[in-house]
Amino acid sequence: MNPPASSHAGTGIQGLDFVLQGGLPVGRPSLVRGGPGTGKTVIALTFLCQGIREGENGVLVTFDEAPEALIHHAQGFGFPAEEYRQEGRLRILDMRPDQDEVVGGGLELTAVLARIDHALEGAGARRLVLDAVDGLEGAFGGQGSLRRELGRLFDWIRDREITSLITTGEIEDFNTRFGLEDYVADCVIALQQDMTHRAMTRLLRVVKRRGGPHAGGEFPFLLDEQGIFMVPVSGAVLNARISDQRIASGIPDLDRMLGGHGPYQGSTVLLSGQAGTGKTSIAATFAQTACSRGEKVLFISFEESVDELVRNQRSIGTDLPHHAGEAGGRRLVMEPVRAMEMGLEEHLMRIMRALDRHRPDMVVLDPVSSLASRHVGDGAKEMLLRLMYLIKERGITAVTTELLADDSQGVSQLDVSSMIDVWIKLRRHEDNGELNRLIQVVKARGLPISNQVKEFRLCDQGLVIQEPYIGEGGITYGTAREARQAEDEQRQEQLEEELTRRRRLRQEMDAIHEARERLTRAEDDARAVEVDREIAELERRLANIQRARATVSRSRT
Amino acid sequence: MKRYLLKLYIAGMTPAARRALENLETLSRDLANAGMELDVEVVDILERPQLAEDERILATPVVVRKLPPPIRRVVGDLSERERLLVGLDIQER
Repeated sequence: MNPPASSHAGTGIQGLDFVLQGGLPVGRPSLVRGGPGTGKTVIALTFLCQGIREGENGVLVTFDEAPEALIHHAQGFGFPAEEYRQEGRLRILDMRPDQDEVVGGGLELTAVLARIDHALEGAGARRLVLDAVDGLEGAFGGQGSLRRELGRLFDWIRDREITSLITTGEIEDFNTRFGLEDYVADCVIALQQDMTHRAMTRLLRVVKRRGGPHAGGEFPFLLDEQGIFMVPVSGAVLNARISDQRIASGIPDLDRMLGGHGPYQGSTVLLSGQAGTGKTSIAATFAQTACSRGEKVLFISFEESVDELVRNQRSIGTDLPHHAGEAGGRRLVMEPVRAMEMGLEEHLMRIMRALDRHRPDMVVLDPVSSLASRHVGDGAKEMLLRLMYLIKERGITAVTTELLADDSQGVSQLDVSSMIDVWIKLRRHEDNGELNRLIQVVKARGLPISNQVKEFRLCDQGLVIQEPYIGEGGITYGTAREARQAEDEQRQEQLEEELTRRRRLRQEMDAIHEARERLTRAEDDARAVEVDREIAELERRLANIQRARATVSRSRT
Repeated sequence: MKRYLLKLYIAGMTPAARRALENLETLSRDLANAGMELDVEVVDILERPQLAEDERILATPVVVRKLPPPIRRVVGDLSERERLLVGLDIQER
């Protein structure tokens, strides 16, 4: 499955290497295209600096941004670019075009080739980046000879057999005119950004990958001053840390529904339910129990403020401030994040940074649906999957809640079930003017689960799950259950009497049947004897007739 | 007498480089008649790539007016006299 290491150059972006199934083709030119601000330069810089970090010196040719700005960017992503430059491992060629007067024709770009060649030799470089190469056209676009010269430059890069990455703006025409996509580049990556519902979604797509496999489809990624973050969904779980350790939820009855010991550590739990079904309460119970075990918990609340959360959970006996405070060892960190305030990307970024800062054993996202619900696009869902992947990859137990709309018929809107290990559905059951809460384990990977819908109550002792009453007319819950139970008891006596009578009748029927069978058999036997006798008689008479004929014919001759 | 120092950067003696050099030589003669001195130094960046780096040269041929300041640059085969003079800011009285 894994191609030989020598044929791929790692980009330093884990998710991108996965999408490219190893990295960029070694000794070949690749192309990254995308509009302004899509992250082309970030990818290029990361690719170059990652190479230097691994001992492959690099040359960076910039046609747009100042060398100092690029160094500053790279340092933001955690690469000591200035040091690299001083050590001679990184060379930056400033090829930002001056606004030179152009007089006459015959323009040649041999100088560009010569400078790059000189730098590659000087640094002993094995990686090359040409950033915003379409800037050349901006400067010399009016020149007829530019077309030929750019073609010559790209051919030269191809012939130079160096692992290179060329970035261009999203000017389709530029790339096609110089055969960049069809002929020059072995690998073409397209970047795109969409603004939907006031949230920015960035997408990466591998348009072409000569002589090598790549994962298809569009991959969302995040971009900020700390670099690119991209985690592909597929194959995600393969790398995740797996634990055999089970963790108690704090609700013994729920643990029993999950095969007796609660979910596995590091698994992702989703609590789906309509408003008022107790999602947050169960999540808070998970959190409190984890803190009591000595685990660190990050509770991210998207809808309730910390004060609201604390007050509401105290009413059912969950003491969140204790665990957040000194006495509880500050094991609980509560972070309210207002879902409305920012774009999805910023959101996820904040959550990821919070994960890095606090390094929790468990994270609660309540409700995680507030991240996806406002953003209808698939990008949001994929982004959410990536967040869940990230959490899982780090071995962090995730307890997430999903608010279902009242008219949702209990159907999840998140489409993240592939990522969910334990899926618990909560439901309201309204009957006889009473509201009861039902709980059901829809799925639990690797656990023997109860498939029964059970009832639970939120009382000041916390959460209590009750066995439902199963009787005539289906399963009933709440006080209706008690009434139904008394009613059923009375009827039970009648039924038992009836049952005894019928059983006796049944036995009698068997006896009658047996007697009838014996009689029939006797009659049949007698009949058989009679028929046998008749056959014998007929045979005897036939024999007599034949003997008489024989005697007559003999006497005639 | 007004003096100008120009450097012509070329990447090998290509046809365009030859034309640029010829155009500068013609200009130099014409300016000499008008009482101006035009010194032209030719640098082949294929032989000295570091100079191309120092001058941040992309396209050749390119002529740089070194003296007197300010520095002016003109790219191309310099085949249009009027525009060349404007680009180098040389007044042909």
